[in-house]
Amino acid sequence: MDILHNLAIGFGAAATPLNLLFCLFGCLIGTLIGVLPGIGPIATIAMLLPVTFGLSPLGALIMLAGIYYGAQYGGSTTAILVNLPGESSSVVTCIDGYRMAQRGRAGAALAIAAVGSFFAGCVGTVLIAAFAPILATFAEQFRSPEYFSLMLFGLVAAVVLAHGSVVKAVAMIVLGLLIGLAGTDTQSGVARFTFGIPELYDGVDFVPVAMGLFGFAEIMSNLDRGGDQPTITARITSLWPNREEIRRAIPAVLRGTSIGSFLGLLPGGGAVLSSFAAYTLEKKVSRYAAEFGKGAVEGVAGPESANNAGAQTSFIPLLTLGIPSTPVMALMMGAMTIQGIAPGTAIITERPLLFWGMIASMWIGNLMLVVINLPLIGIWVTLLKVPYRVLFPSILVFCCVGAFSINNSTFLIFMMAGFALLGYVFHKLGCEGAPFLLGFVLGPLMEENLRRSMVLSFGDPSIFVQRPISLAILLLTLGLVLLIVAPQFRQTREEAFQEET
Amino acid sequence: MIRVKNPQDFWAGLLFLVVGCLALWFGRNYAFGTATKMGPGYLPTVLSWGLVLIGAFLSLRAFALKGPAIERSLIRPQVFILLAIVVFGLLIERVGLAPAIVVVTVVAAIASREMRWRETLAVAVGLAALCVGLFIYLLGQPLTTWTWNF
Repeated sequence: MDILHNLAIGFGAAATPLNLLFCLFGCLIGTLIGVLPGIGPIATIAMLLPVTFGLSPLGALIMLAGIYYGAQYGGSTTAILVNLPGESSSVVTCIDGYRMAQRGRAGAALAIAAVGSFFAGCVGTVLIAAFAPILATFAEQFRSPEYFSLMLFGLVAAVVLAHGSVVKAVAMIVLGLLIGLAGTDTQSGVARFTFGIPELYDGVDFVPVAMGLFGFAEIMSNLDRGGDQPTITARITSLWPNREEIRRAIPAVLRGTSIGSFLGLLPGGGAVLSSFAAYTLEKKVSRYAAEFGKGAVEGVAGPESANNAGAQTSFIPLLTLGIPSTPVMALMMGAMTIQGIAPGTAIITERPLLFWGMIASMWIGNLMLVVINLPLIGIWVTLLKVPYRVLFPSILVFCCVGAFSINNSTFLIFMMAGFALLGYVFHKLGCEGAPFLLGFVLGPLMEENLRRSMVLSFGDPSIFVQRPISLAILLLTLGLVLLIVAPQFRQTREEAFQEET
Repeated sequence: MIRVKNPQDFWAGLLFLVVGCLALWFGRNYAFGTATKMGPGYLPTVLSWGLVLIGAFLSLRAFALKGPAIERSLIRPQVFILLAIVVFGLLIERVGLAPAIVVVTVVAAIASREMRWRETLAVAVGLAALCVGLFIYLLGQPLTTWTWNF
């Protein structure tokens, strides 16, 4: 049992007092921002990236990962108690979770969400431990044509899975790729789109872009809507679900976990898509279909398990292939680069302590989160009373200080203001930020792999279809493109997202 | 009469079109190269043209297909949020971390109509203390608490 041996090493690395502290810290922050509507894991991780400079690589990754899956736990609390999604991955939990709370079953809904998430988190962690090494070994055969095809697949998948207009998602990806190419060209040394600004020679920095597009644009849109104050109406009496609720929750948790684990693997998938898909599935298969929208247990158990499972498995593409599949994973990649770790197939063999330590920490973190979220629920409810007018200036200040401390450059601050405006305009025009960010991160990687492939083949583009693995990936990509065009799929895709509006 | 039926798509398309044209203009001197030896201008040119085409398509399609209107925008929050970020950039090296945070918090808070002066000042001072403690003392970032460089 190689895995057990490796996991033992991992627990040894993750269970040092300092790393446990980082894990707890990450989970606490994750729950906090999960509970608070108006700030998500992307902005938070971007904010804390500069802080991780001084930490050990393992400590930094443990903390940042904790923020991401911690947010999945916290998001359900707000959804159930105040009918507001604390996190975009908890949007569907509002529908039935809040109704359960109104019927006096708030405690049961919270408990089911937390325990379901814990189960899903455990499964997700086991899946990473079992499959990541296999996938990494397989990926060792990958050369630049395979990587290029894989990234193309990722971008196409991001379009298919993005909300809203397909054409706009494609445009956002292209724009992201283009801006990602800014900076000194690695081969010719030509400075592209730098306008003589020294801060741009190394490319556009990732953190101000992520903060501007996600953190600030969100604040600005919230203020447009008047930033209404959440009101807590539900009272938590007992955290124990009754037997009937447990009986109905178990199959939903299992289904949610499977669908979330699978969708988390897909680029652009992650936690948000998983929860939507799980809700749609539960509604289709449930014998209590009529109860949905009126407080069905399945409508909480399914999506809440799915979003946590998806959050866990979305680490797999990054840890095995070095390709970030969601904006949060792009930030994790940034954190690795800051620490001097090249994400990719070599992590597992060259940095086993880091890889297995991180996996072990996920399990520990999930355990911590159940404790943080259930017995301590009262603390988080109190936090919900912090008015938004106090919250958003604080978020703004932290983002500014964080962005400035990357390399003490005021230019980055002004650039961040520019991206905040851009993000706000995108928001108003119905353009998603996530595809942009993926394109932005993958731009330079794709260019490099495309160039190398072309050098290998002396300029013959058929190299991408002559190599079997690359061909297989491209065929999958083509399949996805056909899916977008197929009218039947378009309909289901719209249905899957319609709950939100 | 020809009317824009989908304002969101129309303006988004126009935005992409303009950015694409700008990128083509600024990138006009980057060598294109050949497929075997791609120059620094190869991919940027291809992507810029892609952006121009998609943008034009979006804008034109907006005349044919109906779509949602653009939600209303308030001037006050947007101006003060952006102003707050810019003020931070202008002040941080001139007055140091603590005074910059106090000013920025106040400017940002004005963005909300529900702003209360006493509460805002308390938050501002609290944030300044927290950030000085966290970033300067705990994390040892090379920032100064206060200074005067004009």
